[in-house]
Amino acid sequence: MGEQRKKLSTTKNNPKSTIPSRVPSVASLMSQWISMGGEVIRKNLLKGGPIIALLFLIIYLAFASPYFFNLSNFLNITRQSSINAILAIGQTMVIIGAGIDLSVGAVLALSASMSAVAVSYWGLNLAVGILLGLGTGALTGFITGVIITKGRIPDFVATLAMMTTARGLALILTQGLPVPSHFTALKLVGYLPAGLIWLGSGNVLGVPVPAIVIVVITILGWMVMTRTTLGRAIYAVGGNREAARISGISYVRTKIITYTIMGLLAGVAGIVLTGRLNSANALMGEGAELQSIAAVVIGGTNLFGGEGGVVGSLIGAFIMGILGNGLNLLNVSAFWQRVILGLIIIGVVIFDQWRRRRFAV
Amino acid sequence: MSEKPLLRLEAIDKSFPGVHALDHVDFDLYKGETHILLGENGAGKSTLVKILSGSLPKDSGRIILRGKQVEITSPYHARSLGIGMVYQELSLIPSLSVAENIFLGRLPKSRFFFVDWPGIYKKAQQILKRLNLNIDPTVPVRHLSLAEQQLVEIAKVLSLNEQILLFDEPTSALSEEERQQLFNLVNELRERGISIIYISHHLSEVPLVGQRVTVLRDGKKIATLPVNEADEDTIIRMMVGRELKEQFPKEETSPGKPILKVQGLEIKGALNHVDFTLHEGEIVGIFGLLGAGCTTLVRALFGLEKIDSGKIYINGRRVTISSPEKAIGLGLGYLTRDRKDGLIHPMSVVSNITLASLKGISQLGLLKHRKERQVGEKYVNELRIHPPDLTRKLMYLSGGNQQKVALSKWLCSGSKILIFDEPTRGIDVGTKAEIFQLFNQLTKEGVGILMISSELPEILAMADRIFAMRRGTVTAEYRRGETTQEKLLKSVS
Repeated sequence: MGEQRKKLSTTKNNPKSTIPSRVPSVASLMSQWISMGGEVIRKNLLKGGPIIALLFLIIYLAFASPYFFNLSNFLNITRQSSINAILAIGQTMVIIGAGIDLSVGAVLALSASMSAVAVSYWGLNLAVGILLGLGTGALTGFITGVIITKGRIPDFVATLAMMTTARGLALILTQGLPVPSHFTALKLVGYLPAGLIWLGSGNVLGVPVPAIVIVVITILGWMVMTRTTLGRAIYAVGGNREAARISGISYVRTKIITYTIMGLLAGVAGIVLTGRLNSANALMGEGAELQSIAAVVIGGTNLFGGEGGVVGSLIGAFIMGILGNGLNLLNVSAFWQRVILGLIIIGVVIFDQWRRRRFAV
Repeated sequence: MSEKPLLRLEAIDKSFPGVHALDHVDFDLYKGETHILLGENGAGKSTLVKILSGSLPKDSGRIILRGKQVEITSPYHARSLGIGMVYQELSLIPSLSVAENIFLGRLPKSRFFFVDWPGIYKKAQQILKRLNLNIDPTVPVRHLSLAEQQLVEIAKVLSLNEQILLFDEPTSALSEEERQQLFNLVNELRERGISIIYISHHLSEVPLVGQRVTVLRDGKKIATLPVNEADEDTIIRMMVGRELKEQFPKEETSPGKPILKVQGLEIKGALNHVDFTLHEGEIVGIFGLLGAGCTTLVRALFGLEKIDSGKIYINGRRVTISSPEKAIGLGLGYLTRDRKDGLIHPMSVVSNITLASLKGISQLGLLKHRKERQVGEKYVNELRIHPPDLTRKLMYLSGGNQQKVALSKWLCSGSKILIFDEPTRGIDVGTKAEIFQLFNQLTKEGVGILMISSELPEILAMADRIFAMRRGTVTAEYRRGETTQEKLLKSVS
């Protein structure tokens, strides 16, 4: 089908381009634009299995529920999807590099606890508290990367270990209680500052702060993956580790940087979530690792590494968010929602496989 | 042997994209004989036995087994017809025991459903004893040496009690003693009435195991003759026998100062005191059979193998090369023998081409896409990579075009010392000439090229100097024009 369209547009073009005139006629320019547009649309449709699913979902829900299609609901969805989206961007990089990070939910909790404890019990100021939380996330990711590469341990095992370790450390840090709390042995210096809460629940000109965070992180993630040598190295290591090595790309360095970025993003997600919940605790983000992996898979990234992209994962996170929201509006029970999500993951992946085979993209 | 043949192949034909691998080949095999298949790399030997063993379908032709025409559809089917194959690439599962590997897929069961372990170990022991092998059947295969694994592979096929056995270069991983052991075994099997097709590169093996010899060249059968008429010189002439025209447009260059010097390079069990020097603008060819150590040598130079002793000098400065990253930093480039090891399949053509020169197309870690595209276009045009689509994923290119991408990667990296392991593998004749033209261009710019090749005409024509290697040692060194295909083959086998 795609081939046919290509042929059509080139035959349309050829006679025009042979006209011996230096100034192209309006008609030829237009036909060129149309064919170029056709090409762009074709390529993106082929690439964009997830975006088609997202559009269908939105259209369906807009008709199915009167409460769905309005701005405040969309802002609500954005807020709800933000944590998963932030994690999914990092998880995409990890998975493209042929890894997987099961520790993101736990690292989120550890980072959030660290920030909250720092400001409420240790009396540090907001900026230091946030930096401490982000630093904790990045450091955890760095350590994971070192364990995987230097210890030659599979990603799955290393991050599984980090998952329980980080969760344990978070419990130790918070003494198993929400932060801030009056019941710890630690002296409560102050509640969470307004600035921290603003990061999760605030608005800038009507736009939720988490939405801005997602946009910034997606753009940065997209830049890293498509415009930098680091991104290229991640694709190469994930696509064929041995070939990457022979081409002079350091597996160790690439892996460690990727996991450090993932840890940092888990820290960002932790702080945004703390702001939204108005509190941190050691059990936040349980199951977030699987949610983020689901978003990545729905987004069309190959779970075995080497191909995919962050924009798809963002869409994947939104598909999950909209699905939850829409099914709530339609009064579908939370139990059935899980079943439906499972079916959708399978459906999207089957479609994606077919599309790749069929169109060789 | 006057009765009817056990197996007859008539006009077997097989094409791969761009290669006519087998061109109406006839072949027959009698009961109780060992029939040796000879030919250069790519002559079609492996393709022929793969068709017989059911792992490749033929395009046309007939297979007549015991007087009846058969269509062999799968390795399993071949096995049920009494045809067993000993693979060149090992097909054992490293984590399973020797006995489990031998009986893989048909583990004998005891009365109640469970696997009969004592029985298996006993049977495996018997089979190994028949081979005079002193291997514990309970040991996982990964603890065995490569040679032992190869012998277990043979044991596995023997345990099937097949009537026809196919051996594809079975001795390439074996020591002298183990080879002798294998020959004894092959002869013993033949005396028991089993028929054997035996592919080999070692001409010296021919009179030791075979009764008849068939020579293939470029997918065509050249001749079948009894082993007493098949002296080495005759066979070699049949194997190579093509005329050299302007297939190899070698231009004379005057080599400059030495850029790479290797002294007493040693790797236990693989390389034995190797010395050589590569000059600016020079092409040095390395020729050896499988397992001679050529690939190990260049891998060591590229930081992929640990060196036990020896010195490496680049531009007169002593260096230690501990990783490919370091090697590339020192100006080396390495085209791997197996192109799978050098290319990233899910990545685009252009990303593959620039993968080893990311520094050149980026600034502070940011890629310059326009520059990258220009570089990509240059090589796609020069090497006529088809289809000329930079963004196409590499996996959707044919093998020959993938090889061109792999070459482009190193041509564009600006390396001063290029190591090419079988650079023209899977590439058609026309493009080969273009690639050699590129070699000329590179040498004119002062690049030194180290080329491993098993294509005799290619190495004789293109290399300024040739080193012959056997069992990890350099056995001879020739200047261009000083040697012939016959001499070269003799000095490595």
